[in-house]
Amino acid sequence: MKQRIHHILWQPETFLALLVASLFGLMGQLDPAFIQWHVQRELSTHAWELAIIAIPMTLVILTGGIDLSVGAIMSLTAITLGMLFQSGCPLPLACLAALLAGILCGALNGWFITRMQVHPLIITLATMAAYRGVAEGISRARPVSGFPSSFAWLGQGLWLGIPVAGWLFLGLLVVMLWMMHARSFGTHVYAIGLNSTATRFSGIRVDRMLLAIYTFSGGVSALAAILLVARRNTAKADMGMGMELGVITAVVIGGVSIFGGRGSLLGTCLGILLIHETREFVSWHWNRDELNLLALGALLILSVVFQKLLRHKRATP
Amino acid sequence: MKGGIRKVFAYMVRYRAAGLFLFIFCLLTLVTLVNPTFLEWQNLRDIAVQAAPICIISCGLMLVLVTGEIDISVGSMMGLLAACMGAMASLSRGNWPPGVVIPLTLGIGMLLGLLNGWLVAYAGIPSIIVTLGMLTALRGVTELIMAGTWITDLPSGIRFLGTGTWLGIPVSVWTALAVFLVSLWLVHQTAIGKRIYAIGSNPHAARLAGLPIKPIKVFVFAWTGLLTGVATLVSVPQLSVVDSGIGVGLELLVITCVVVGGTAVNGGIGNLGGVLCGVVLMTMISTVLIFMKLGEDATYWSRAIQGLFILGAILADHWISNQRKT
Repeated sequence: MKQRIHHILWQPETFLALLVASLFGLMGQLDPAFIQWHVQRELSTHAWELAIIAIPMTLVILTGGIDLSVGAIMSLTAITLGMLFQSGCPLPLACLAALLAGILCGALNGWFITRMQVHPLIITLATMAAYRGVAEGISRARPVSGFPSSFAWLGQGLWLGIPVAGWLFLGLLVVMLWMMHARSFGTHVYAIGLNSTATRFSGIRVDRMLLAIYTFSGGVSALAAILLVARRNTAKADMGMGMELGVITAVVIGGVSIFGGRGSLLGTCLGILLIHETREFVSWHWNRDELNLLALGALLILSVVFQKLLRHKRATP
Repeated sequence: MKGGIRKVFAYMVRYRAAGLFLFIFCLLTLVTLVNPTFLEWQNLRDIAVQAAPICIISCGLMLVLVTGEIDISVGSMMGLLAACMGAMASLSRGNWPPGVVIPLTLGIGMLLGLLNGWLVAYAGIPSIIVTLGMLTALRGVTELIMAGTWITDLPSGIRFLGTGTWLGIPVSVWTALAVFLVSLWLVHQTAIGKRIYAIGSNPHAARLAGLPIKPIKVFVFAWTGLLTGVATLVSVPQLSVVDSGIGVGLELLVITCVVVGGTAVNGGIGNLGGVLCGVVLMTMISTVLIFMKLGEDATYWSRAIQGLFILGAILADHWISNQRKT
């Protein structure tokens, strides 16, 4: 029992939860207006796209891979949606096509990674340039706007007091938590991250799983792109620029090891919360965006150092 | 005849640079046939000036990749160094003489590299995390220094580094050449060069052989920082305005060049000739597209074509390494 408590106490998630709690305490002291529900709800609109993509990114990093192309997939799918809508295609159909485009992009990544045995970092670096390039090419770098106001509900509207995008995130999270904890899928994901060769020899179809995970990542990026287009009411080729780094930062701050096999979706959620609250509070209270970048970079490096210390502590009771 | 082709092919398999060189040659022939003005001195010089800073940083980054690490902070580092250099040298701010500004800029670059290296080697944080953090944090520091303003009054002494020529060739190209030669010497003639490759190709064996792994890792990061300083000195003074957005996205371009040049991200493999060809190819593409007279559309498609080239290089590499195995 004592050992179990010791184990839980030194989990990165516990440490992160404490950090988030103390951050909220600090913010409440400095600026009570900031932690009001309606302010938080309003500010949360900035975070949903990042939060949604962080879920598949957690899976990708847990398998020991990385996906740098998520921002570019957002750009390509947003443009697919915009161009189809502009050419008179009904909006639901255009959204479906955008989702399909995202899934195809993700599947292409997965295919290259599993068939060519090339490092995911390299492949997704290349497809990042290619996907965004295609988006720029077909849109000729021009924005598309004029979506109907009913579409804006998807990105800006509320349902039962919570943003629609938030419901989507929660739904996706619940499904993935179930997949990770109640199905063999989760165990296999960790196994691939810890030792993919051994996993393959255990009769698990590693390639098929990786293909599925990267495809999922592409599809979810498309979903995020649809939300972003709905929120901004425009589709542009430079959408999602730099998204990949923000998402990876959130996942890594959440305690997921960049080498795979360690971490959890719960940690990722706390990581997103930590990044989002820090970012919004620095902008809100000091009104300085440059401090934001500095804080984010320092947070990333420090949290990894702390997690290293925690792991050490956990291993030696 | 068949034997000859096989021999050429075997050579290309063996030397990555040869294959890339052949590819660049074909591209050059094609664009010259379409538009002979491509080979004019002025145009070639412009391409060389564009390629020079990329080449300088790539020489450092290649060594980082060879040790099995990665550095994605060079873009933000260049931004910060440009801001520091601007603040020190500009007539209305520091107005320090070039003799002070140049060593200080190089020194700051090296210190930032040392910090990266120390965090990776001694604090034991994965290099992609360290440099991702630095990518974000250094951009923040840059914006703090610039505070929303920009610098337009660099003194002529500093400006010479970017726009001056010697024997008709720009200073930046001379510098890139010098850096390339020094890197060649470092890789092929010194013990440290051999050790860098040894660490990357088999870290475990290198440790058992008693190689100083940590100092060498710190060295490659510091060297990359120093070279980023050099690249800043020769490229930023070309611009008429120094603001806080210099070097955004540079890290990806440099990594792309190095990887297209045949460097393995898992470490142990990489050669400078290949990297140089990678740099030339990647900087040539946008100009080639303009000279091919494909019309306005080509400018919008340039990034997509760049992406296709990278994918092509990776697939070719995959195919070639399969051929090597059989």
